[in-house]
Amino acid sequence: MKTSAGGRLAATVLLVLTVVLLLLAAAPAVAQDAAKEPAYRNFPVLGSRLAVWAVAQLHLNFAAFILGCPIFAVIIEIIGWRTRDPKYDWLAHEFVKLTFAAFSTTALLGALLLFLFVGYYPKFWTYMTSIFFPTYWVYALLFFAETFAVYLWYYGWDWLSGPRKWIHVGLGVLSNLIGTAILFVANSWVTFMISPAGITESGALKGSVWAAITNFTWMPINIHRLIANIVFGGTIAAAYAAFRFLSARTDEERARYDWMGYIGNFVALAAFIVLPFAGYWLGREIYAFNQTMGITMMGGFMSWLWIIQALLIGILFLGSNYYLWLGMERIPGSERYRKFVPPMLLVLTIGFMIWATPRSMVVTLDEARAMGGTHHPALGFFGVMSAKNTVVNLMILTTFLSFVLYRRANRISTKSWAGTGMMVQWAAILVAAAVVVFYGVYGYFVESIVRIGFSVYQVLAVLGAIVIVMAIDIPMFKGARSTGTIRWGTIAPRSQYVLILLAVTFTWLMGLMGFARSGIRQHWHVYGVLRDTSVDAVTPALGYAANVITVVTIVFFLLVSFIFWLGGLSERGSAEAHGHGHAAPVIAGGSAPER
Amino acid sequence: MRLPVGAKVGIFALIVMGSYTYFANSIPQIESKPPQELSLEGGNVTQAQLVKAGEEIFKTKGTCEICHRIGQKGTRAPDLAGIGGRAGKTKPGLSAKQYIIESLLNPGAFLVEGYPNIMPTVDKPPIALNRSELWALTAFLESLGGTVDVTLNDIPATAGAAAAGGAPAEVKLPGDAKAGEAVFAGKGGCIACHKAGKIGASPVGPDLSQIAKIQTPDYIMKKILDPKGSGTVAGFPPGVMPQTFGQALTAKEYTDLVSFLLTLK
Repeated sequence: MKTSAGGRLAATVLLVLTVVLLLLAAAPAVAQDAAKEPAYRNFPVLGSRLAVWAVAQLHLNFAAFILGCPIFAVIIEIIGWRTRDPKYDWLAHEFVKLTFAAFSTTALLGALLLFLFVGYYPKFWTYMTSIFFPTYWVYALLFFAETFAVYLWYYGWDWLSGPRKWIHVGLGVLSNLIGTAILFVANSWVTFMISPAGITESGALKGSVWAAITNFTWMPINIHRLIANIVFGGTIAAAYAAFRFLSARTDEERARYDWMGYIGNFVALAAFIVLPFAGYWLGREIYAFNQTMGITMMGGFMSWLWIIQALLIGILFLGSNYYLWLGMERIPGSERYRKFVPPMLLVLTIGFMIWATPRSMVVTLDEARAMGGTHHPALGFFGVMSAKNTVVNLMILTTFLSFVLYRRANRISTKSWAGTGMMVQWAAILVAAAVVVFYGVYGYFVESIVRIGFSVYQVLAVLGAIVIVMAIDIPMFKGARSTGTIRWGTIAPRSQYVLILLAVTFTWLMGLMGFARSGIRQHWHVYGVLRDTSVDAVTPALGYAANVITVVTIVFFLLVSFIFWLGGLSERGSAEAHGHGHAAPVIAGGSAPER
Repeated sequence: MRLPVGAKVGIFALIVMGSYTYFANSIPQIESKPPQELSLEGGNVTQAQLVKAGEEIFKTKGTCEICHRIGQKGTRAPDLAGIGGRAGKTKPGLSAKQYIIESLLNPGAFLVEGYPNIMPTVDKPPIALNRSELWALTAFLESLGGTVDVTLNDIPATAGAAAAGGAPAEVKLPGDAKAGEAVFAGKGGCIACHKAGKIGASPVGPDLSQIAKIQTPDYIMKKILDPKGSGTVAGFPPGVMPQTFGQALTAKEYTDLVSFLLTLK
């Protein structure tokens, strides 16, 4: 095992080293030869844009997974360490194993993306280098540090156990800090392309590179991507568990992967609930940077993209809730909460329908006459931001409620103040819902500039309710009486397809949002600074984008399945050869006292 | 026959993705095309053509319509119905065309009450209208309830300098401008149709005396090699300029010619 670890470390370090050297070496060379080089070269058959698009999306998918998964893996490891429950340690190891398997592929795709930029977009690359060259060194050093930290974290699992566990947990935390720093550096390049800052009118760097890094969209995208990576990592890990559940041959194995799938989905759902808030912030910053860009994004040629986004997010909300409701069936005592499912389903369905209502529709003249205009006389009212902000906040509240009910499904509080506590919880949820609806309706009667500010009050009301409910819930159910243990592994198999649906949908959504982020620049490589004069300067329609996203998503899942299979193969081999490995815990019929 | 789990999961995932793809393909398909450069300088443009070109810019490259409506109150920007008539009375000391030009080039100088200062400067990237486009747009706005009297000379010579939309307007070509002038007047035969400063006088094609000021180097280089694919200047018949310069000129002659044209400011 040591030889294999050393070999893999050496191979990855070599790969990273090659990438880094190329990155650094390419920069001055490209700058010197800029005058002799063409602005663009044509990638055979596919064309340069499609090649960059496909590789960038794949790289981002893998990068999101390897950055998101360790965040919750280390949290689970800490829970296992503090509670001395080995099943959490096993689960954390499983998650890191998945990350680890995808690590080299991420670096490889990053290298490929770099080659494509240097080779096919030399003028663009030269310009970016003229601004960001110092950050290449930072990126390179961070990449080395990350490689060593993650390898040590993974291979030191047994070595740094027992009294040295704190060192191991520290390594996990360190890996995440470095990984987040890498994300922030790469985001500075991407966000500069959207909202350039710190440059003169002619595009040259004015002073320090820091001003270019801290552009309008940098921090909102940092936060948005950080949260989205956790959601993505959670859904992929849950889909992996779902596959293992469906392929399981024993009840024990089925129970183990049922539990793993639940945790993966829980992580994804917890992060997903706050993701729209980060999205609002990003949207506000885009408007603050450039109104025209903001309006083009929301009301221009991209307006239909948000209808597709609404559809996908609606599916994610419905799917997550449905999984929780199915999961409650394996919890004795949950029957008392089933009456809440129909009203929650109603809120989610109505919310979904309103969110997916377009503002104006492309219709024939006859259809427009029949409808009385391009806006439907009744449904047209639901196509505006006031209605959509309202329903998305209500959907978040409903999903949170589903989780709270799931959490207490087999527990009865023994606290004397439980009745009062529950009343305060319900009041907090109802007040938040009332605030959301009030500002939603009021929004129809004010100017848009005032209306935009209302979304902040709606978000704060929902977040406030979440904090109040959880602050009461945790002490209220501490030491609660159990109505029975969770029957892990007995969940309906269709629930596992829900987990796969969530992973596929979120991956596809990431591709769509990548297209939105890139597409709002329209015919600019760097918005307002470096114009796209290539044959690909046209921003394609959604149908074309969807075709590309689907093909890349299929390739991603094929690659990820292959990599996970390889990871499992190596583990099986080493366990058989050496007679050790991470023993999987027995979970069937067992229930964690605190989830 | 029982399907393996992998096949079932794979088929399920394909159906999910296929549904999303089908939906995305069934909604209206709108592309965002890069705006074309418009050049009117030296051309015989009628007032009607100018106003029509301005309307086109209003709706497309200028992106004015995103915030401004004509005959409909907007929440982001004022209604422009009748702007040509009231512009001359809005700011003391400014005529209608002066007010409109100031609004385009320095939008924050005078704000209509009740509207935020959010309008971008239209001759700077990313909108980056050139002088010709500013001229046409001003004419169109004047035509909304007023009299069109704007001329190209009313548009400041410095306006639209950044219209190339790219940082580096300074393109250093290895060509020799003096030799390029000889190509213009000699082997290239450009002088047969174009005027270029002191040389030439033919009205067949547009006057190129200020071409480097109003057009990007990329456009000039492309126009020589692919005149048809680069559009036709308003007021001139299409398809007159030969498509054969790419074959007729040597690489040196081509770069010399471009270098010469880039001196015409």
